[in-house]
Amino acid sequence: MDPDHQKKSSIFAPYSSRDPSMDVPVTAGQAGSIMSPYLNFDPAFISPGGDSEFIFPEGANRQRGRLELSFSQIGGSVFAGGAVGGLNGLYSGFKETKAAQLTGAVRRTQMLNFIAKQGASSAQTLGVVALMYSIFGVVLSMGRGVEDELNTITAATATGLLYKCSAGWKRCVRGGGIGFGLATAYCLYTSRDRLKDMFSKD
Amino acid sequence: MEEYTRDPCPWRIVDDCGGAFSMGAIGGSLFHGIKGFRNAPSGNYRRLIGSFVSLKEKAPITGGNFAVWGGLFSAIDCSLVYVRKKEDPWNSITSGALTGAILSVRSGTGAMVASAVIGGVLLAMIEGMGILFNKYAAEQFDPAKRMVFEEPPAPSAPSQGGGIFGNSQQYQ
Repeated sequence: MDPDHQKKSSIFAPYSSRDPSMDVPVTAGQAGSIMSPYLNFDPAFISPGGDSEFIFPEGANRQRGRLELSFSQIGGSVFAGGAVGGLNGLYSGFKETKAAQLTGAVRRTQMLNFIAKQGASSAQTLGVVALMYSIFGVVLSMGRGVEDELNTITAATATGLLYKCSAGWKRCVRGGGIGFGLATAYCLYTSRDRLKDMFSKD
Repeated sequence: MEEYTRDPCPWRIVDDCGGAFSMGAIGGSLFHGIKGFRNAPSGNYRRLIGSFVSLKEKAPITGGNFAVWGGLFSAIDCSLVYVRKKEDPWNSITSGALTGAILSVRSGTGAMVASAVIGGVLLAMIEGMGILFNKYAAEQFDPAKRMVFEEPPAPSAPSQGGGIFGNSQQYQ
């Protein structure tokens, strides 16, 4: 057993199959064969496709929809924006305080100001962009009733247009273009297997 | 039941932060939109412009403040879950109070105590409401209460006009 197996569960997979407390056998085992032969069979016989190994609550999908994912996405964007802005603020604060030749408590306070202000502002920016994207995406996927790449691209383009809508036509269109480009790149990346299939068949 | 529909603990912080940000940003855009409309110079077009400018500048700030509150609250909540090894309303109440105290740490002890009390009472009210709603919602599944509606038919007094399905007495 390698050391990786001894770890109970990682932060990225809290319900890991390596966790011994999660390792519940699917067959009844010896106790079942004593009690009744009907209890001692492989559940895979019930579902030949092996498809329904998981029990889903009523009305729940296999994957989470846009609405359920949106809060995590927005929160992740806020966190990422805060981290990037904080690092940026650390850098610019370092540069500025060095240029102004500040030392001691004054320098510390100024650094904190730079980090907090730039972190907050980029967190807000990214969070608002994510919020707009999520709202567009949820409205589109609920309105159309399907979940596909068109939703992603349309939502991203609309987000870019809306975010820059007060900065004049040119920048508005540029924002929409950026959104469209990012979403298209993302969609091409996530569906590259399907694309490969499509082109290899031709 | 609510605990099973949420993300497992470290990721719950991100989730709550996002939820709080959306709540703050949407609520803030309503609030600042109306405020900007009222504070603008007269004229419908100018009012719309004022509303839009105020919304654009202030709604993200409200969202950010909410996000900080939600993220810190959830982080303390998760730490308490980790330390105490259980999830109960006291976690939420404690983390509400601690969040209030931490966020006003720069304003002095008095402000910290006041914010802590406000946070704790607010969260206690929210948790109490949740528990009350749960109780009322669970009452309809109480088997002791259901017995009243499903009285077993009395075995005595066979009726004269009983058909093939037994007596035709009505119980409801």
